[in-house]
Amino acid sequence: MTCLRLPKIALCTAVLVCTTVLAWGCAGGDPDRRVVTVYSPHGKPILPEFEKLFEAAHPDVDVRWLDMGSQDVLDRVRSERANPQGDVWWGAPATNFIQAADEGLLSPYRPTWADALLPEFRDEEDRWYGTAQLIPVIAFNNLELTKETAPGDWDELLDPRWRDLIVIRYPLASGTMRTVYSGMIWRTYRDTRDPDAGYEWLTRLDANTKDYAADPNMMFQKLARKEGLVSIWLMSDIMLQVDRYGYPFDFVVPRSGAPVLTDGIALIANSKNPDDARLFYEFVTNVDHTVLQATEYYRIPTRGDIPKDRLPAWMADLSVAPFDIDWKVFSEQSRTWMKYWDDNIKDRG
Amino acid sequence: MNLYAVLRQPRALVFVPLGFILLGYIVYPAALVLWESLFRDGQFGFGNYGEFFDPDSPSYMEGLFNSVMVSVGSVLLSALIGVPLALIFTHYEFPGRSVFSALAILPIVLPPLVGVLAFLFLYSESGMIPRLIQAALGLERPPFSLNGVWAVLLVHGYTMYVFFYLFTSAALRGIDPAVMEAARNLGASSWFSFRTVTLPLLTPAMVGATLLVFMTSMNSFSAPFIFAGGFRFLSLNIYTSKLNGDMAMAVTQTVVLSAFSIAFLFWMRRYEGRRQYAMSTKGTANVRREIRGRWARLLAGAAGIVMVVVLLLPHLTILLLSFVQDGTWTHQILPQVYTSDNYGRLFQDPTFWEPIRNSLNMAVVSTAADVAIGVTAAYLVVKGTFRGRKLLDALVMVPWALPGTVVAINLIVAFSQGTPFSFGQVLVGSFWLLPIAYFVRHLPIVFRASSAAFRQLDDSLEEAARNLGAGWFYAFRRVTLPLIGPGVLAGTLLAFVTALGEFVASILLYVYDNRPIAMEILSHLRQFNIGSAAAYAVLLLLLVSVVLLGSNYFSRGTAQRSLS
Repeated sequence: MTCLRLPKIALCTAVLVCTTVLAWGCAGGDPDRRVVTVYSPHGKPILPEFEKLFEAAHPDVDVRWLDMGSQDVLDRVRSERANPQGDVWWGAPATNFIQAADEGLLSPYRPTWADALLPEFRDEEDRWYGTAQLIPVIAFNNLELTKETAPGDWDELLDPRWRDLIVIRYPLASGTMRTVYSGMIWRTYRDTRDPDAGYEWLTRLDANTKDYAADPNMMFQKLARKEGLVSIWLMSDIMLQVDRYGYPFDFVVPRSGAPVLTDGIALIANSKNPDDARLFYEFVTNVDHTVLQATEYYRIPTRGDIPKDRLPAWMADLSVAPFDIDWKVFSEQSRTWMKYWDDNIKDRG
Repeated sequence: MNLYAVLRQPRALVFVPLGFILLGYIVYPAALVLWESLFRDGQFGFGNYGEFFDPDSPSYMEGLFNSVMVSVGSVLLSALIGVPLALIFTHYEFPGRSVFSALAILPIVLPPLVGVLAFLFLYSESGMIPRLIQAALGLERPPFSLNGVWAVLLVHGYTMYVFFYLFTSAALRGIDPAVMEAARNLGASSWFSFRTVTLPLLTPAMVGATLLVFMTSMNSFSAPFIFAGGFRFLSLNIYTSKLNGDMAMAVTQTVVLSAFSIAFLFWMRRYEGRRQYAMSTKGTANVRREIRGRWARLLAGAAGIVMVVVLLLPHLTILLLSFVQDGTWTHQILPQVYTSDNYGRLFQDPTFWEPIRNSLNMAVVSTAADVAIGVTAAYLVVKGTFRGRKLLDALVMVPWALPGTVVAINLIVAFSQGTPFSFGQVLVGSFWLLPIAYFVRHLPIVFRASSAAFRQLDDSLEEAARNLGAGWFYAFRRVTLPLIGPGVLAGTLLAFVTALGEFVASILLYVYDNRPIAMEILSHLRQFNIGSAAAYAVLLLLLVSVVLLGSNYFSRGTAQRSLS
């Protein structure tokens, strides 16, 4: 009996060894090509497309990308400081870039189109540049609500009508939602230099909030499945969801304006492939590709030199009043505010 | 004896590498994290702990409290499901028993993140089950929905009862029925004999399962991550703190979490130590009682079928999701549009095989290291006679008490600069940190399985072989290896399977070159490609099932016995 078992063990070991050999055997990558690694929250439709475009233009460079949230990118770049693995950081709210720049994680680079940008869209020391403007809007399920019946402005979200009908992406782990929540505080803080009125506002929003979703995907699921009817999220993302999957969403641009986010691009300090990183940087921000991102992915360019007739018509019609934000003060204060929110406001309203 | 002489001794060949690895990858990272937690803005002191226990900023304490409560709840719930199941399947005979008892371990093949998703689509407010009931009864609102802490508990109960089931079944099989008969003959009622005879004999198994469930639950990441958007858990808090750049608080919470888990580990071990019952057996076989009577048999059969359906639902949900076209299943009870595009898209993706290959690579490498170190350590602890045996035992078992988040943070802190243990290399950002994490996390699995096997091994067998003229290697190959083989193999395969689907440490440590399967699934989810995520999950399920079926085939159930 015991002797019978041995061949089986031998067999099993053989299987394991074979798996290893097989696994290592097809370990690949083309050793002759140079590599540029991109960290980005832009995800599946955008990244593979630009990988293909770039590799077609530069066949000797292999583009590798890792897809993760913008806050995750910041954390990763910080963790890898001693041994940076990424070359380009493509996409994150300016607040993330400001913080990364302060921590010395970014390498300065002045793109060829730098002069086409207003000063508010760029870092004074060239450590990051804005590529697109992202507008937080009020999203809703259009099977239940219309543009007329949905909340038309931020303050209308506090109406008791929406009690337990709002779902929100858990703001602490999201650069976007942090900016929106801090933006709500900023509205009064700008004049009073006191966050209390903003805290009060967020407490009332918390009272109407049914659930905090773990990530944008869960938030969209809850909205599509009518667990909640109203949310706050980026206009471009909502348009993309409707466009690609036909989800039942629509949105209202708040009447009083919005804390418009600047989405940016930067080079990671001490990266392994700085030259190709610059090449990629210029490639995805040139005029043609900025137009491509505007038409295909609803990303509103920051560059002022894009001919109007090359941009989609809806962009010309769009009118949003951006909140007048001092981003330096804003990103410094934002941490304290969000910590206070997490400790004293969440689930207490 | 000077150091040189010590190193010249043959046993140094074993002890030096073993000590190097245990010190370098378990002790040193943990000690460094403890050290870092004592600095706040560069100043030495207990400032971080002050903030943790600050009553005005309750979020940290709340996380700790919730984690402990949920873990205790998970232990109770898992025991409530697992122990009765084991008792029924061991003591009673009824139609379909063997099938049901095999299916009872199904939840174990469901990888963490994937299982949670299935529960979301089954039992959440807009899940299939509440909506079906709502439609059937014509209700205004769904009759129930799974949310927050209850959802986490239920997911834990579903996935972790298996530990209680496996451990208890193995222990029950080892009880001599004559002991029970003696108790009954002496006039004990069946409840009394269960309480005073069976239960004490089950103590070691219960302690083992309790430990495993408590640790897994303290460690649980994906269930709170997906279900409890705003609910605070310590393991989740650590991740968020790190994400928000507050490394000081991340390491402080790491220390608190480790302290709690390790304290629990040693408390349980002491408890176990005080309640050891040896049993002398005459080798009578365990007899199962046939359930008689038509109604009783029908009832048992019906209950069995319900159980199988409930256990299989999450797996089926994932399969269903993998065929649903994204965006078409929103307010409907069941999906309306089916497609095989999700699989098509996966296979067209030129990088499709990479995560699978990466996971296989890392699982193989880390498991091989686990076997080398785990088996050696087990041999030394069980058969060795040197001083420091207890210390070695404790050292190898400590990762058992360290949640995945903790292991990951420890490694990041330790290897973000060059150390002698990494031969001067910075490991953060390299391929190797993640397999090292898998190695550390799964070392106790192999160690436990192997030491159980060594404990059952009677030294006189090998001696007899040697006396009969067998050489050392021949005796090892023909006597020792066949005896310990199945136990070691069981532990090895369990470690391998767990590494394949690992999520918690992966999310903190992966880089482009080792992007594992779980991260690929998460990435699809992030991009709202639920269909593709589910399709990928089905592949992972298949992979895990193949390995587990193989393990069952090769080890003929010893997998279960040797682990308890």
